[in-house]
Amino acid sequence: MADPKEAPQGDPAAQAPPPEAWFFCLRLLGGRYAFEAPLVTEVVRLGPLTRLPAAPAFLPGVFTHRGEVLPVLDIGQLVGHGAVTIRPSTRAAIVHCGPWKVAVVSDAVEGLVAIPRRALEAPPAESSGVAEFLSAVGRDRAGSIAILDLPRLVETARARAVPAGSGHA
Amino acid sequence: MSEATSEILLFQVGPRAFAAVVHDAVRIGSVREVPAGDLVVETALGMPFARERGIVVASHDDGCERTLVVDQVIGVRSVPEVDVQPLPAFAAACLSSGAVIGFVMIDEAPMLLVDLPALVRERPGAAPTESPTERC
Repeated sequence: MADPKEAPQGDPAAQAPPPEAWFFCLRLLGGRYAFEAPLVTEVVRLGPLTRLPAAPAFLPGVFTHRGEVLPVLDIGQLVGHGAVTIRPSTRAAIVHCGPWKVAVVSDAVEGLVAIPRRALEAPPAESSGVAEFLSAVGRDRAGSIAILDLPRLVETARARAVPAGSGHA
Repeated sequence: MSEATSEILLFQVGPRAFAAVVHDAVRIGSVREVPAGDLVVETALGMPFARERGIVVASHDDGCERTLVVDQVIGVRSVPEVDVQPLPAFAAACLSSGAVIGFVMIDEAPMLLVDLPALVRERPGAAPTESPTERC
């Protein structure tokens, strides 16, 4: 019988983080981008957009989903790239980031990906464009993935917009 | 048992239709006799195609009347209050106009709900005033 002092105490999985991290992967800006999977509540097909007057470019409009009006976030516009082309087939990931609930549009949705934690590396030390919002870069069988700090990105978007009521005097 | 409803005024500015609470409108009419200084032409809703029709709005602040120039007053609809929704929090925090306050579901599509007194108060493109009006 093994010496209890040498045997693992309890479930090892409860003591160490799981070897893989789960992310939700989108294709946009010509690459693969992902963010923490628990932020995503569902993926939906965009309905007709209602454009908002006096809205920043990264907020192309709102749409209704199950009777709820949801704002659409275009990350490409936020980081100074072109807008995601919105078609009837365009899908969006509905995410909760703190107090904000937004639908992130992309060119395509890949879905959940698992990346070994040891394969996650620090992002490039750039501070412009989308690099400003990267928290890590990783790799899976399909290639490299840039990991976005989505809560920071959404909060930055809000902060960069002109607060309501101060745009026109 | 009847459900609560809201009376909504539907109007068009440029190519788009908007909604407002009907009580925010004092009256509707031609803008031809309205002094230029009382006209609100360019707003967050955009520019009207023409200067024919107007919605007279009383400001919350001073009670002054301003006339919002619109292209068409579509009419008044009674909608269930459950079909009147506020702006999503993220959208509300990002808009540069405080006059867009929510949506009215019309034929299952969201139509922007506008606070008319706030809209005319913003007045980014009011016609230049040649002389002060007597009322304000």
